[in-house]
Amino acid sequence: MEKRVSEAVRYLGYGKHVVDDRTMDLIEQSFTELEQVAQIRGVYQYFACNVEKDEVYVGKMQIKSKDLAKNLKGCREVAMLGVTLGIDVDRLIRRYMVADMAKAVACQACAAAFLEEVCDEQQEKIEKEKAEEHLHIRPRFSPGYGDFDIHHQKDILRILDTHRKIGLSMTDSFMLTPTKSVTALIGICEENMQCHRTGCESCEKQDCLYRRS
Amino acid sequence: MSIKERLGKELLFLDGGMGTLLQAQGLEAGELPETWNIKYPEKVCAVHQQYAQAGCDILLANTFGANRCKYHDTEYSLEEVIRAGIENAKKAGTYVALDVGPTGKLLKPLGDLSFEEAYEVFAEIVHYGEKYGADLIYIETMSDTYEAKAAVLAAKENTSLPVFATMIFDEKGKLLTGGDVPSVVAMLEGLRVDAIGMNCGLGPKQALPILKIMRKYSSLPVIVKPNAGLPKQKDGETYYDVEPETFAKTMLEIVDAGAAAVGGCCGTTPEHIREMVNACQGKAILPIEKKQDTIISSYGRAVILGDKPVIIGERINPTGKKHLKEALKKRDFDYILKEAITQQDAGAHILDVNVGLPDIDEVAMMKEAVRQIQSVTNLPLQIDTVNTAAMDEALRIYNGKPMLNSVNGKKESMDAVFPVIQKYGGVVIGLTLDEDGIPDTAGGRAQIAGKIISEAEKYDIDKKDIVIDVLAMTISSEKNGAKVALEALKMVREMYGVRTVLGVSNISFGLPKRSIINSHFYSMAMANGLSAGIINPLSEEMMQAYDSYVALMGYDENCESYIAQYAAQKEEPVKKASVQMTLPYAIERGLKEEAYKITRELVKEKTPLDIIKEELIPALNVVGEGFEKGSVFLPQLLMSADAAKIAFAVVKEQLSKDHIQEEKKDKILLATVKGDIHDIGKNIVKVLLENYDFEVIDMGKDVLPEAIVQRVKEEQIRLVGLSALMTTTVVSMEETIRQLKEAEPECKVMVGGAVLNQEYADRIGADFYGKDAMQSVHYAQKLFEKKEDL
Repeated sequence: MEKRVSEAVRYLGYGKHVVDDRTMDLIEQSFTELEQVAQIRGVYQYFACNVEKDEVYVGKMQIKSKDLAKNLKGCREVAMLGVTLGIDVDRLIRRYMVADMAKAVACQACAAAFLEEVCDEQQEKIEKEKAEEHLHIRPRFSPGYGDFDIHHQKDILRILDTHRKIGLSMTDSFMLTPTKSVTALIGICEENMQCHRTGCESCEKQDCLYRRS
Repeated sequence: MSIKERLGKELLFLDGGMGTLLQAQGLEAGELPETWNIKYPEKVCAVHQQYAQAGCDILLANTFGANRCKYHDTEYSLEEVIRAGIENAKKAGTYVALDVGPTGKLLKPLGDLSFEEAYEVFAEIVHYGEKYGADLIYIETMSDTYEAKAAVLAAKENTSLPVFATMIFDEKGKLLTGGDVPSVVAMLEGLRVDAIGMNCGLGPKQALPILKIMRKYSSLPVIVKPNAGLPKQKDGETYYDVEPETFAKTMLEIVDAGAAAVGGCCGTTPEHIREMVNACQGKAILPIEKKQDTIISSYGRAVILGDKPVIIGERINPTGKKHLKEALKKRDFDYILKEAITQQDAGAHILDVNVGLPDIDEVAMMKEAVRQIQSVTNLPLQIDTVNTAAMDEALRIYNGKPMLNSVNGKKESMDAVFPVIQKYGGVVIGLTLDEDGIPDTAGGRAQIAGKIISEAEKYDIDKKDIVIDVLAMTISSEKNGAKVALEALKMVREMYGVRTVLGVSNISFGLPKRSIINSHFYSMAMANGLSAGIINPLSEEMMQAYDSYVALMGYDENCESYIAQYAAQKEEPVKKASVQMTLPYAIERGLKEEAYKITRELVKEKTPLDIIKEELIPALNVVGEGFEKGSVFLPQLLMSADAAKIAFAVVKEQLSKDHIQEEKKDKILLATVKGDIHDIGKNIVKVLLENYDFEVIDMGKDVLPEAIVQRVKEEQIRLVGLSALMTTTVVSMEETIRQLKEAEPECKVMVGGAVLNQEYADRIGADFYGKDAMQSVHYAQKLFEKKEDL
């Protein structure tokens, strides 16, 4: 199974269960439609960083977060990243919420998986760029992961000028709009640590239905 | 001479980038550039001075981000930085524009900034702009037509300054929010800005083709203010690499292609502008011609009424529609939204929206309907009302350039309607009737059309924005109803060159098998020059008439649409549902069509109540239990819910045929709390609760606590379900519960959402935490003492 399909299946709560054909059809249709409407845009920029025990300095940002400090340990540079699938994805899901709820749920899950895939691609681009300088990257880490306060979303959007460049903004409650968007920091270091993934797995919510196994 | 006198008559030069130059002098990424107006006025003035010396006619003050959404500074107020910004620019001795950039926020329905709030944000700054001496308002880098509309209205209503507006397009000529060039042009012209155009996003080379499209539709001077090339990234830094000479060369081509004002945006420097001025100075601009296209638009698309007819869907109109009437009374927007979506899927190009009912607040209802419909479809809308206040408010908050139904030849009507169109823009339907009624002859109707067109001119409303409805009178009472209408259609087109519209279905009123007459009359009307028929796109006969006409007249290249539509259609009658399949089977597997067919058969044999008790409820229980045990998953649960819903609808139809009153349902209010825009979870709960026969009042997302309390009081609700996705919004959930408990202590609150758990729910005072949708159903059943089996 394609990775994004298996991710979508996981988001739909199937765990290790076999997916029925009709749901699989929904997933396939969803990906096709998402590909048609998504306007994928991304922007990133490098900043010097200074990592202390439970604090990280990125450019002018000061971030108090043990988890992020752990993730960025040993890094002197980070890539700051913003990615979005665009507003038409939100419109598509909204439309299905009225017309066909099962489809809306499938679309929602597929869009999340699609977004991860797009983030992976951006990350690979950064990885390649940095490989030329014999540097390595760490797994991406987003505001809201662990104790990395969601409020930093605001600074990241402003620093990257995401509204103008890729149409990415946020609500007063720090939710990204369009909703299928991600901001993240990616550590860059000299050492090639065999990184374990620290996305989903680093979350404290051990009993989460959607946890990656 | 004022800028308005020079605009469109001679080539005007605007300045180039500001941000990049300030960055070169030490402005850091993320620092507010506007604070420099006061902190380092000499540096800002120096940039202005260089642009003035390069030959600019208009300088933009350093106020791009000066609005209360973006600008938060403890040291200098918004008013201070705007004042300083304008004063700095004025020192250079050119015209100075208040530069108005976007708020940086996404507007509702997909974001959280309301149109009215956006308007206030812009109203505040344009007011300062005029107060401190700006010569014009320059609205720029807008990627959202809705936000642009708020800004333009704010500028027009709060100042007397000229308004220029430029949007940011991508290489395909699209905005980030989906709009295309004709839709942008139509809306901004309708709002009567002084000049339109594009800035940022593209380099001059990519801007050139967009300019050509814009010129094709625009009757206004066009501004082109591109970047120094497409943005490039190296090592995470953005840069632009088109050199001043190359920039100037392409800008000359842009002037030759018809730009009336040119400048630069990101990456351009005084050197770029100097070269541009040197290359273009003294060039005459191409004449700006009045265009005759009748364009209606939404945020996502433009519909041009041309020779190929378009379809206006008539179904959102309560006249003679029991279900829609009920939905409107209950404020059940889902029903209306489904009508919108099915009409679009059936082929409608524009949707008529009429929500007029005797006992409802039509102004509020029309506004809400327009908002909601625009959140699920990008089709342009036709606002259909005789209530002038509803017209005004709906046109105001509409995202795009709408159609308005209607004005007529009565003086009173024209006096009321034309000012609204003049203010907001729109294409208005002119009904050919006046104080003396509806003329019997085509000539009489054409004469009224003429009267409407010439009266509109007084309001500066061009005839391209008037479509004439020559009125189809019912042939069962008016023998010549169709003949006169057809003749008049032809006549008004020939006499005035205007587009036409017709409510087609009226022709057959009182006759059997109306679709036969309707579809034939529709074909005849199109053949006589009808531009837009207001029809039921769900009627097969009407769509056949349309598809045939379009194919016959050569508007369907290689008959592609016709073939796509009809080649696969089998000619056999609808198959009966397989004998073996039962209703519970169909529901458990989520087979909608089968569930519908089987239930249609079942109602002939069984009473509706028995069907519910013996077939529907047991099937739902099997699925629900499966979900809880982990053998049925969310998409399946929802597919089953959908199938059950369809079966329920058939059963209810039968109940009402049998004149059996349905039991009064228990009401539950659902809402996603203030600040939260993620409502898919809440919507899942809603679908299931409805399945279990609760009446759900869905208040949507981002709902104020006060609004929830008010509705609970109004409708005496005993159970409220709230959802919140993130820690940042659980706060408003807590506040909502607090207010609810204070005002209505008896009302129970159940909560759900990604960040919640039992402990959290207890802490914020919820009565119940639902881990998944089925648990909410059980809680509701327990609360209302419903037995599991009924």
